[in-house]
Amino acid sequence: MGLGCARRALCRYSPGVRIVLIGFGVVGQALATMLHAQRQALERRLGAEARLVAVCDSRGCALAPAGLDAPTLLEAKAEKKSVGDIPGVGQRIDTMRVVLRTAADVVVQTSPSDLKHPRPALDHLLGAMRAGKHAVSVNKAPLAVAMPALLESARYNRVSLAYSGTVGAATPVLALAARLATGDTITGIRAIINGTTNFILSRMAECDEPFEAALAHAVKLGYAETDPSNDIDGIDTAMKLVILANHAGGVGKGCSYSDVSVQGIRGLPIERVREARARGKVIKLIASISERGLLVAPTEVDVDSPLNVPRNMNAVTFSMHNAGDVTLVGRGAGGAETATAIVRDLIEIGTR
Amino acid sequence: MRIVMKFGGTSVADAERIGHVAGIVRAAAGKHQVLTVVSAMDGITEQLLEVADAAASGNDLRTGELLTAIRDRHLACAYALGAHEHVRPLLEGLEAVVHGVLALEELTPRSTDAIAAFGERLSCAMLAHVLGATPMDGRQAGIVTDDHFTEADPLMDLSMFQVQEVLGPMMDKGQPVVVTGFVAANQHGVTSTLGRGGSDYTATILGSALKADEIWIYSDVDGLMTADPRVVPEARLLGALGFAEAVEMGKFGAKSMHPRALEPAAAYGVPVRMRSTFKPDHPGTLISSAPAPTATVVRAVPMLKGLAMLTVGGAAMVGRPGSASEVFASLARERINIHMICQSVSESGISLVVSQAQADRAKAALERTLRQHGLARTIDVRPGVCVVAPVGAAMKGTPGVAARIFTCIAGLGINVIAIAQGSSELSISIVVEGQSGPRAVAAIHKEFGLQGDQPQANV
Ligand SMILES: NC(=O)c1ccc[n+]([C@@H]2O[C@H](COP(=O)([O-])OP(=O)(O)OC[C@H]3O[C@@H](n4cnc5c(N)ncnc54)[C@H](OP(=O)(O)O)[C@@H]3O)[C@@H](O)[C@H]2O)c1
Repeated sequence: MGLGCARRALCRYSPGVRIVLIGFGVVGQALATMLHAQRQALERRLGAEARLVAVCDSRGCALAPAGLDAPTLLEAKAEKKSVGDIPGVGQRIDTMRVVLRTAADVVVQTSPSDLKHPRPALDHLLGAMRAGKHAVSVNKAPLAVAMPALLESARYNRVSLAYSGTVGAATPVLALAARLATGDTITGIRAIINGTTNFILSRMAECDEPFEAALAHAVKLGYAETDPSNDIDGIDTAMKLVILANHAGGVGKGCSYSDVSVQGIRGLPIERVREARARGKVIKLIASISERGLLVAPTEVDVDSPLNVPRNMNAVTFSMHNAGDVTLVGRGAGGAETATAIVRDLIEIGTR
Repeated sequence: MRIVMKFGGTSVADAERIGHVAGIVRAAAGKHQVLTVVSAMDGITEQLLEVADAAASGNDLRTGELLTAIRDRHLACAYALGAHEHVRPLLEGLEAVVHGVLALEELTPRSTDAIAAFGERLSCAMLAHVLGATPMDGRQAGIVTDDHFTEADPLMDLSMFQVQEVLGPMMDKGQPVVVTGFVAANQHGVTSTLGRGGSDYTATILGSALKADEIWIYSDVDGLMTADPRVVPEARLLGALGFAEAVEMGKFGAKSMHPRALEPAAAYGVPVRMRSTFKPDHPGTLISSAPAPTATVVRAVPMLKGLAMLTVGGAAMVGRPGSASEVFASLARERINIHMICQSVSESGISLVVSQAQADRAKAALERTLRQHGLARTIDVRPGVCVVAPVGAAMKGTPGVAARIFTCIAGLGINVIAIAQGSSELSISIVVEGQSGPRAVAAIHKEFGLQGDQPQANV
């Protein structure tokens, strides 16, 4: 191990894809499960064997240059232990040191998206890239605050930075945006990109339930966290909007979180939902990009609009200069869905 | 307002002047949010580079002499300011690095930067002490560069983000900070320096990142002039100027700003005010994206002296792709800077203007290329020429400006040797004999009424 190995990330004939995984929660575990269970299929797609050479959670790391055993890692987490406590491979070692020093090809960031503290995750991504490793992030916070800086770092260090799971999880929202921007100009975007709030709003409209009751229901079904602030205050939606805006180019290029005007749905009166319904409308938490800037706000849409998606679904409408509107609908979250996006990013990096 | 103030080497040349600068900063801090950027004391950067060379060539006597000179000057200043506790460890650090170079007799660009950076770190420590401010080097402030030591380019998006993150909250709280100009670090934290544009560049990077209302660049002159007052006594101060015009003037004279340093300010639309430490209340010259329109088409007539013109001639060059690139490549290999290029459509010759001091080397380099590639038959050198370059944003699209310029030069019987105009159309470069330059400048200055429209400068 050592810095000298870092440059090997650029080597085409690297014997396998050596992965450092930061964060071992819902998404991280889903990824480990997938890499393990679908080993052979993935090896064909990647053109090389994928190995987890390091896995870090908030308390420690497990390290094994030859590859960590996924069942052992999952078992430790099932027992509420840190991967750093696994005998033989576990170490109480700082994540940043692992990022910089481990001989690996790519660092995958799945730690929590904390807008108030983007730094450790941002440092991990910048550190990985300056050490010559590719970076994949499903953590939105570093991208939301410093996307131009991260993209510049990837360009300068000649590595790839992929983040397709940050918006829409497995639903390829960002890929479609880039594709559409290739042949036409995207003049505006309207998007529902947070499943939790869409679930709550749908529930309020369909069951005529007040906000608090709908939220409690979402928590019960596991659609919302016990602290749902990130979702219901529009923070998660706004972070995704920043990433989408930068990726699509055009009006939103170079923007960061502070450029978004954010209003969530916390305490939305049921009366507003009823009034909207009387006029043939529903209220959705819409993220939009237009000449008026970047906006997140509860907004009325027509009942028969393609954006009127049920439950925890996501939907994004791109307005094109020549080609009119294009709408993509799909699930926007879930461990396996997000892990799928990571696998997609790994394959794309390998073939770039 | 939020202001970034930058003080050059002459403004911090001794204890008294540092005290004076501190007074200017304090006065401004009473009214504005202020961030201060400082250069090394006058002449120190040159001495540091000399000490680096002396150490690299194993000349221990000269190394010792220079280190002593640097130490004595800073300690004298630091004692006068009560800042010796902050300065002494820096001097020890400098000596350690220099002795490392001396021991190895090897100087890498990386160690050159490590040594050169001490100039700003020392002046920064002293000014910060007087102000009760936090001293920071460019790395701590968040400026990240590539690995081209001695001439590093910032990774601009990353630097912008980090500067906002580090200095933004400090400025919001009104916390006084002094940042070293010129000094930065690569992404691994190794000290680098910005090279051309130096401390001014630091100031415009910081000002752009912090969305400052203005960037104030202090020196010992009032601002930019319509012409060199030693050449044209009626020359006046320019009250306002566009970024594009300021960039055109950037090559002429040490008192203007390097175009590279103007780049971030122009890109982010932060106005730059050039002003004098000796007249802190004088508004100076304001460089901005949209200066108020003026009556004069030509705004200034700068001149560059001490040049030579090389003409590479020969029919072999006609219609032969790549011949120009051979000429430029051979000069680039010798690190010769080309000030101006002319080629006619007939392609039978290329004329290049280089500095007089590099003319012989340029000729030798071109002769080697000529022999190798059989490109040209002749290489003429015309020494002792100068370039006169009237500048003005309104020159673009105003018909007859060139005719007026040439008529007034011709009226004095001055021979025009060559002409070049870039596609920006903001200026025309005219090559004339060295001794005719001042007369040409004065004549154009008068022709376009430059002595009349601006407020009187008190030079
Ligand atoms: N879940 C989804 O459907 C989905 C969809 C798209 C994007 N995402 C994003 O994916 C990321 C992970 O989501 P998740 O649902 O898997 O979250 P999670 O279950 O809370 O897992 C987070 C993991 O990160 C670890 N961690 C926290 N701080 C760390 C640090 N400084 N260094 C190393 N590890 C650290 C945690 O450690 P401990 O185990 O010790 O607590 C935990 O293992 C989030 O950024 C989320 O926004 C999730």
